[in-house]
Amino acid sequence: MTDPPLLEVENLTTSFETDAGRLVAVDGLDVTVERGETVCLVGESGSGKTVATESITRLIDEPPGSIEGTVRFRGRDLGELSEPELRSLRGSEIAHVFQNPQDAMNHCYTVGWQIAEAIRVHEDVSRETARARAIDLLDRVGIANAAARIDDYPHEFSGGQKQRAMIAMALATEPALLLADEPTTALDVTVQARILRLLDDLKAEYGMGVLFITHDLGVVSEIADRIVVLYAGKVMERGDPLDIFERPAHPYTRRLLGCLPGVGSDHGGIPGSLPDPTDPPDGCRFAPRCEHAVEACSRGDQPAEIEVGPDHWVSCVHYHEGYDASVLSAEATTADGVLGAATDGEREEERSDD
Amino acid sequence: MTETGPLLSVRDLEKHYPVGGGLLSKPSGAVRAVDGISFDIARGETLGLVGESGCGKSTAANSIVRLEEPTGGEVLFHGGGRGGRPRNDDGIHPDDVTRFGRTEMKAFRREVGMIFQDPASSFDPRMPVGDSIAEPLSVHGLDDGRRRRAVVEDLLERVGLGAADYGRYPHEFSGGQKQRLALARALVLNPELIVADEPVSALDMSIQADILGLLDRVQSEFGLSLLFISHDMSVVREICDRVAVMYLGEIVEIGPTESVLEAPRHPYTEALVSAIPTPDPRTTNRGIELRGSVPDPADPPDGCRFHTRCHAVVQPPDLDLDRTTWRRLLDFRLTIEAGEVDAEAIEGRARTAASGDDGGGSSAAERLRAAFDLPGTVSDPDVEADLAAAIEAVLDGEDGRAAERLRSTVRTPCERRHPESVDHGGGHESACIRHDPEVRAAREWPEQQ
Repeated sequence: MTDPPLLEVENLTTSFETDAGRLVAVDGLDVTVERGETVCLVGESGSGKTVATESITRLIDEPPGSIEGTVRFRGRDLGELSEPELRSLRGSEIAHVFQNPQDAMNHCYTVGWQIAEAIRVHEDVSRETARARAIDLLDRVGIANAAARIDDYPHEFSGGQKQRAMIAMALATEPALLLADEPTTALDVTVQARILRLLDDLKAEYGMGVLFITHDLGVVSEIADRIVVLYAGKVMERGDPLDIFERPAHPYTRRLLGCLPGVGSDHGGIPGSLPDPTDPPDGCRFAPRCEHAVEACSRGDQPAEIEVGPDHWVSCVHYHEGYDASVLSAEATTADGVLGAATDGEREEERSDD
Repeated sequence: MTETGPLLSVRDLEKHYPVGGGLLSKPSGAVRAVDGISFDIARGETLGLVGESGCGKSTAANSIVRLEEPTGGEVLFHGGGRGGRPRNDDGIHPDDVTRFGRTEMKAFRREVGMIFQDPASSFDPRMPVGDSIAEPLSVHGLDDGRRRRAVVEDLLERVGLGAADYGRYPHEFSGGQKQRLALARALVLNPELIVADEPVSALDMSIQADILGLLDRVQSEFGLSLLFISHDMSVVREICDRVAVMYLGEIVEIGPTESVLEAPRHPYTEALVSAIPTPDPRTTNRGIELRGSVPDPADPPDGCRFHTRCHAVVQPPDLDLDRTTWRRLLDFRLTIEAGEVDAEAIEGRARTAASGDDGGGSSAAERLRAAFDLPGTVSDPDVEADLAAAIEAVLDGEDGRAAERLRSTVRTPCERRHPESVDHGGGHESACIRHDPEVRAAREWPEQQ
């Protein structure tokens, strides 16, 4: 119980100096990932998800970037580590899966060599053992006939296969923490289902923690233990899947759920677009697009996060003292009604079962 | 009389790419990317074409609009005031796009608009978007620049952008906005059919909903027919009236969206549908697992092309093993036949594993069974005898003998007959031999309703 969380991110702020001014991509992000837990970071493109994960292991170039805040991995402050120390941590204990597999593989070496290399860099094993493990991993991520494909070069793999090989490479060293940036977005649903199952297995097998970044809410509901909803670099809401999907509190989360094909009645998406990251609006970042925005929404900073249920936090003025959150639920039917509204009694029961 | 009947009829469309061969040698084979597909699209209807990557969806679309020359079959397009014409005496249909000459082709291009997956790469970065959109107009003879501009500005507004966006460049637009521009360009010649190849796959969920809503609106406004290609079943569910499921160049199931997705009749559709992540945190159904990947279209499996991966693959009449065991047995045979059983690798892995604990207690045969998830003994004695003999042969390095031995009992009707399409009523058809009356009788399955 006294163990520190696997990953603890506090007040992470990543900004870039650009010609147009200082661009704050991630603004004061707090997130923790425990052992054996999958935390999903959800948001549209441009919401800062990718920058946030790359900031965790300091993959962002400084300058032009600038990373502030603390990141603790198993209680160790990563900010105090030297670059060589960080490098030995990356890939062994913290593994990354990037969105674009084309850029992350070396074209001059076989896929098997690259996976075996990843194993041998971090572990003292024989070449044969590393190779056998590489075959096994490729097999587990669903590469048919892995024993023969292992000697193929990246260009002989299709895009989806490369993505899977990347995942195999990331998992090769049995990392304690996996930072997965849209790892299945480019894959077919059948393959995606398989990868999600694999991540679940590894979680159970040796307690791997996963920070999973995606904009696909279907995937989120399949794998998340906890969800953090990001918008324009700020956390809008956080909670477990039942909180987010069945009683979403933030107007943004509700609109996002309304966009689900086949579920939402929100034909036409969310009107407006993300604010200019070099000049974010005052107050709540979502206020300019929010149908419930009142004057207080556009003042000061992003509203403080308020706990609206056990471990269910929301950053919205309407939940603060002196406001009435029921104005939001006037049309909450989009999210609440469609996703199978259970009565409150039932919900409490579900909760105690968890 | 021209307004009745389908707008587009595709019949036995084929696109084969030659493989091998050079300047002087003949090609040694063909990749059968699209291998005899047929469907109709009615006026104002949206047909979805779905399947995994590599199944031939995009090739099918490109062949229909002749961005690639089909190698066989007919594409009958009855729009543009055509229709109602009978076949010529030589059996050739005057509306057959694959036989259109230059002039007819140019007219056809006016009647069909296309939208591609990646909106970023479909606009010239050095041309104002308005000019890009107006280009087809000048190609097709609208010489009055002022009128071109008026047409484009009107369209920009109809797709949710502003007339003022005419002079802006592609990089000034977001992904969703570029897809709106692409739609405007597809609409500029007032087509009757739009072919959209994964138009929303590259977009975020909220923008996806946006573009789907727009497509829907524009479709009813302009009375368009839509061929919608996607690998995302949830998007298809949203927008399509009917859906056709493709696997390895063939359509395995087609019908009204609801009945195909709610009550799939082909095992492949079943697996695809079950793999869709549901946005309901209470269900964590991961669905049917499809093992392996899509086979090589240059050498598709005999019989039903899906039998190498099918979870419902049929057993011969005299067998009654459980589904999983049966699937594993077939997998084992197929792997041997492909020459991909690496007994040494399995042994090597066993050795590595054994170095840690005492895994050395099992025999080589047992380890081979374990590697293929085969049971210790198969309940059917004949199959067990063949399996044991085959495993021995594999360990002796005689794969040929092993495969032959297995073929005597481990064989499926699915690999011997190519399934015919069976009508389940309401325009819902699927091609699976489990719907074949003969097979049903042999397996003592009740006749289907």
